[in-house]
Amino acid sequence: MTSIIKLDIRKKTFKKKGFSILHDFELEVEPGERLSIIGESGVGKTSLLNIMGLLDTHYQGCYKLFGSSVKDLSQNKLAEWRNKKIGFVLQESALINSLTIEDNIKLPLLYANNEKDRAVQDHFKRIIYKIGIEPILKKKPLECSGGQRSRAVFARAVMMNPQIILSDEPTASLDSKNKENIINLLFDMNKEFNTTVITVTHDLDLANRHERIITLERNE
Amino acid sequence: MRILRFFITRIFLKRWILVLGMIILLFLANYLSFTAARSIISTFQGFQQIETLNQDGTFIANLDPDSKAEDETVNIDKTRKLYEYLHNNYTYALQADGFVTSLDNEHKMEVTFNYINEEAYKINQLRLSQGNHLNFIYQLNKDQIPVLVGAGLAKTYPVGSTIEIKDPVTQQLVNLNVQGVLKKNTYRSNFYAPNSKNYFNFSIFLPVNEEFIQSAGLDLHVNGLMDIALLDSNEEEAMNLKEYIQENLGMKFNFFTQQENVDYFEEYYIYSLKIICTITLLLLLIIVCLAIWNNLISIRLMIKDFTINLVVGLSYSKLRAIFYGYFGLLISITLALLFALIAFNRYGFWLGKANLLATYGIFGLISMDWIALLIVLFIDLIIAFTIVELTIKKIKRIPISVGVLN
Repeated sequence: MTSIIKLDIRKKTFKKKGFSILHDFELEVEPGERLSIIGESGVGKTSLLNIMGLLDTHYQGCYKLFGSSVKDLSQNKLAEWRNKKIGFVLQESALINSLTIEDNIKLPLLYANNEKDRAVQDHFKRIIYKIGIEPILKKKPLECSGGQRSRAVFARAVMMNPQIILSDEPTASLDSKNKENIINLLFDMNKEFNTTVITVTHDLDLANRHERIITLERNE
Repeated sequence: MRILRFFITRIFLKRWILVLGMIILLFLANYLSFTAARSIISTFQGFQQIETLNQDGTFIANLDPDSKAEDETVNIDKTRKLYEYLHNNYTYALQADGFVTSLDNEHKMEVTFNYINEEAYKINQLRLSQGNHLNFIYQLNKDQIPVLVGAGLAKTYPVGSTIEIKDPVTQQLVNLNVQGVLKKNTYRSNFYAPNSKNYFNFSIFLPVNEEFIQSAGLDLHVNGLMDIALLDSNEEEAMNLKEYIQENLGMKFNFFTQQENVDYFEEYYIYSLKIICTITLLLLLIIVCLAIWNNLISIRLMIKDFTINLVVGLSYSKLRAIFYGYFGLLISITLALLFALIAFNRYGFWLGKANLLATYGIFGLISMDWIALLIVLFIDLIIAFTIVELTIKKIKRIPISVGVLN
């Protein structure tokens, strides 16, 4: 099967901080794969997620996504792919507090310019029904519980039906019930739409529920 | 447009105090630039007008600040003699305004009489919107006196109409015949303060000949003397007149040559313009720095919101367009406020019945206001460009990272 993600990073340097990470790091991910990335703090887990999520293009090496070299893509194309092909499941604080939960979830539609499409409206309804956040749609994030906010972040990530979901500590600060809820939603997406799921976590329980685990180690 | 509307209503306006701060700073910058620009344009217009008098052989009279004329030394007989002396020995331009009288008109403004002799009339080259130019050949007590009226009087006193009035300087009942109408906003700049001017929309220009001068009262004689200009003359003749006036009226006048006028302008006015420009630039710089600081604080407060938007599909080029749109809106608001303030100020002259300041213009603004507004718009574009580019540079320097959101 063709890899959806093909990473060959020589290193990622933080000039101001004076150190580098991800030395000679190679990774291939196939469509529909469930992959978790674990490792100590500071080894580069989130940096790797930023690179894979097209948020960071400043590294030495090569990254091919869907067969295209990321460094050859324009900023607008990168933004378009972040909008349509990649969904970010982040911690529950990753919501805009001045917007309602509904507006937060629909934020990707603003950039896809298809908010009024019938199919998109139906998709939105299906998601909120499945995730169970109908009662809080008109609330602001600060009026919701941590679990509700986490589900809203998840709903936003899957709003565009992405091919890849990148999640960064999605269950941190959640109780066991809400944690289970989010994990199930992630894996349901994987099963239902063959979505590739890549999770960065400290939580070994969560990591073990993925098909493959990569452990990042500190470069000496 | 949808994205811009979203950012303005849902992101920027949620920190309305910062938006208000930015509007206040931009308004201050606009007001400052406008005031300086209009002052420079007005001075330039004034200088152009004065230039017509800055010719070889022209000497402009000016009462010396140390001149101490006793009331009893100046009387009508002496001033008549002086004008006779002037008539016999000099070619001179005389224009005296400020003689206010009550004359019915649709705007209920007071009317100012402006007395002008043929030489001054030739120099001024007044432009008419209707009718014919003045002629100076008439007999005061027999003929109707041809006059020009300001644009504000044209409806009440159209060309060909007659005005019967007691003339303020001869105190005689005279019949004025409206010969022509001055173009709207015809003005005269002050010789010694080129940025200050009187508008003649509610004035009557009355031609002055030798007979009229001899029949006029002391007011016109003394007033006319203040700005009298000797033409085709020389320094010796100017000195002779200066001595004549001092001996007969006890008033000390200076007669400035072309070079002295130019020197005065350069020394005093160009210098003051340079000071205005320097202070304006410095203040503008301070205001722009404050605006940049205000915007960077906004960015710091909104960095999470920007990051979330970048994560879900916003690009830097769209973000730049959003900021340009946002500053376009802020500039439009501040320009509209400035426009309203200027229009109200101009309208205030009409409300206050300030007949020498009331002007006509599109939305009440006259040409120099529009030119100054264009300059302000240009300065605004530079300010917006500086702030937006610095803001984008600052945002780009902060790496987008999902870590920011955790």
